[in-house]
Amino acid sequence: MNPSLKLAWVVLLALELSFTQVWTVNVVLIVICLALMIWRRVAIKRLLWLTGVPLFFASALVWSLTLQGSASHHFLIVIFTRMFVYVYLGGLFTQTTDPLTLTRSLEQNAHLPAKFAYGFLAAFNLMPKIKAEVASIKAAALMRGQVLHVWSPQLYFKAILTAMHWSDQLSLAMVSHGFVEGAPRTHAAVIPLRHRDWWLTGGSLVLIQVGLFIGLP
Amino acid sequence: MAVVNVTHLTYHYAHQSKPVLNDLNVTFPTGKFSLLTGASGGGKSTLLKLMAGLMPLSDTGTITYDGRPWSSIPAGQRSQTVAMLFQEPSLQFTMDTVENECRFVLENLQVDPATMPDRIAASLAFIGITALRHRNLMTLSGGEQQKVALAIIVAMDSDVILLDEPFASIDPIARQVLLDKLVALCTDHGKTIVLADHDLSGYAEWVDHLAVLEHGQVNLLSPSETQARFANFTPAKLAIHPAMPRPTNPIVLQGSQIRLYQGDRDLIKPQNLAFYEHKTTLITGPNGSGKSTLFRALVRLGHYQGTFNYHETNIQKIRQRRYARQVSLMFQTAAAQFLNVTVAEELALSLKYGRTKDFPSERIDQLLERLDLSGRHDQVLYSLSSGQQKKLQLLCMLIMAPPVLLLDEPFKGLDLASVTTVVAILREIQAEFKLTLILVSHQLSGLDDLVDYHLQLDHQHLQYVGVFHES
Repeated sequence: MNPSLKLAWVVLLALELSFTQVWTVNVVLIVICLALMIWRRVAIKRLLWLTGVPLFFASALVWSLTLQGSASHHFLIVIFTRMFVYVYLGGLFTQTTDPLTLTRSLEQNAHLPAKFAYGFLAAFNLMPKIKAEVASIKAAALMRGQVLHVWSPQLYFKAILTAMHWSDQLSLAMVSHGFVEGAPRTHAAVIPLRHRDWWLTGGSLVLIQVGLFIGLP
Repeated sequence: MAVVNVTHLTYHYAHQSKPVLNDLNVTFPTGKFSLLTGASGGGKSTLLKLMAGLMPLSDTGTITYDGRPWSSIPAGQRSQTVAMLFQEPSLQFTMDTVENECRFVLENLQVDPATMPDRIAASLAFIGITALRHRNLMTLSGGEQQKVALAIIVAMDSDVILLDEPFASIDPIARQVLLDKLVALCTDHGKTIVLADHDLSGYAEWVDHLAVLEHGQVNLLSPSETQARFANFTPAKLAIHPAMPRPTNPIVLQGSQIRLYQGDRDLIKPQNLAFYEHKTTLITGPNGSGKSTLFRALVRLGHYQGTFNYHETNIQKIRQRRYARQVSLMFQTAAAQFLNVTVAEELALSLKYGRTKDFPSERIDQLLERLDLSGRHDQVLYSLSSGQQKKLQLLCMLIMAPPVLLLDEPFKGLDLASVTTVVAILREIQAEFKLTLILVSHQLSGLDDLVDYHLQLDHQHLQYVGVFHES
C-alpha cells in the first residue's frame, strides 16, 4: 500500500477512535492489525514487546479507574482495547514501512517539501551516531563524578548542542551534494499511488464507520 | 574545467575583531592539484566554505569560476561547478546506503533515472569501491566513507573539488588511494583540486606551488621553496629517549588477547598489552590506525575482544560509576568533555567531586594564570579558542586526578609555549598524586621529560620501543 495513504489512514483512525466508544470495533481492528503484522513477518520478539508494553499500561489504567469506582464496565473495556489499537496501528505502520519509501512517497505523492522529507531521513539515518554520542556524554559526566540520567536536563543540553552542530554540517553536505531547496528533482524510484490504494483506504474507512454506527449503544 | 579566482577577499566572523581573511588574492588553475596549508584556526576552512558557496561572502571580495561569480551560476548547476569533501567523514550523507546516497545526488542534479545505474557503477568503479555499493554508510570506516564521498563528487562530475583536511581521521593506505584518485582526476580529467591539509607528507611529487595561508592572506611559494617545505616536513621527529619497561614494573592495566576492529576490519590483531603504573606512556601511530579506538575501549565506550584487567579485575566487572573515576579519558575534542556553560561552572563541577582539598582557590587561580586563562571566569566555554578550551579541559581533568588518565591529543592546537607549560603542570600533578598517564600525541617536541615509555602502533600491532637500561 502507498505509504503516505497508509500514514493518513492510521492517523485518521486513531483520531476517530479517540472520540468513539465501540469496543467491538477496537477488537476487530486489533485482530486485523495482528493478522497483518504476522502476515508481513514481523519478528515474534517485536510482537511480544508491542503486546507487553500496552498490556502493562492498559492494566494499570483500568486498575486505577476501577479503584476510583466511577467508570462503567463498558468504558473500562473501551479504554483497555483502545490502548492496544493505538499501539498496534503504530506498530503495523512502522513495521511494514521503509523510511526511505515513506520519504519518497511524502515527497512525490503528498507533495511535502523535499527539504523537510530528506532532512528527517538524514536525522533518522544518524540514529546510531546519536546513541554513541549520548553514551559519550554520560561517560564524560561519570568521569567528573556526575551521574546523568535519562531525565537529566544536562544530558539534553549537551545532546542538543551536538545535534545543532551536526544539523549545520548535514545541511552543508546536502547543499554540496547538489540539493537545492524548492528546485525540481528527478526520481530514481517512483512510488506508485494506485486506484487500488484509494479503494482499500476508502473502503476500510467506510466499513469501520458502519461498524461504529451499528455498535453505538 | 574551471579556473578559480579569488580577489580582495576579506571575511569577518561576527564575534571576532580581526578578520580571518584579509584582502586575500589567489588563483587556482584548471587541471592542477593545489595544496593549501597553514596553522589550524588560520582560516583554511573558511576560505574553502566561501569558495564552495556554503557561506555567504560578507565584507568585500569576489570569487569567480572561469570569470563567473558563484551567485550568477544557476542554482541547479552550482554543485557541478564546485563540490566539497568534508573533514568529518560520517556527517556528509543524507541516505542510508551508498547506492541510495548516489541516487539522491543524481536526483538533485535532475539526471534521467534510466542513466543512473550506469553512472553510479562507473563512479564507484573509478574509486575502486564497487563492492561497497549496497553497504550501509554508517557501518563503513572513515576511510571508506571518504572514498564514497569522493565517488559521489565523481558522479556529480564537478569541475572544482575542494577538500577540507579529508585525511584527518583515515589510515595511510586509504589516504594513498584517495590521493592517487585525486591526481588522476586533475591530470586525466582536467579537474581543479584544492586540498587543505597541515600534514605535508606525500605531496612532493604532485604539487608545484604550495599555497600558504597566513595572517589572512595566501602566499604561493615558488617550486624550490615548495620542495624545501616538503623536505623539511618529515613526520615530527622523536625527540624523546624512552626506556623499555622492566618486567618487574607494576602493571596497572593488563590486556590479554585484545583485538580492536572497525566493522570487519582489524585495527589491532589479538595481542597482550600491559600499561605500567605511575609511568607516562606515549602511544604513536598513523592516523586512523586505532589509537583513539584503544582509548575508547579502555574507558568502556567501544567494542573490543579479549579482556582488560584493572589491578587484576576485569574492567567490565567493575561498577561503571566507580571505574569511570579510576580510568578517565581526556577526549580529543575539548567540547566533548564540557558539561556546563561557563568556565567557572566547569571548574566548579570538577571541584565538587575532584580532589577539592588539594586545589584551594589560590592554587586554581595560580594554575589559570600559568595557563593564560585568568579573568575568563564568566566566559562561555564554546567562545574560547580551541587552544584555550584544550587547556581548560586538561585543568578540569587534573583536578579530578584519576589514578589512570588517558590523554587523547592533549597538545592539539597549542603553541610551543603552551605545550611547555602544560607539560610542566602535568609532571607536577603526576608526581603529586602518583598518576599513571597514557597519552596519544602527534606533537612530540617538548615531551622528553614527561614520557617514560613509548608504545608504537604499526601494522596492527602495539609494541614498546626504546633502550634497555641496566639497573
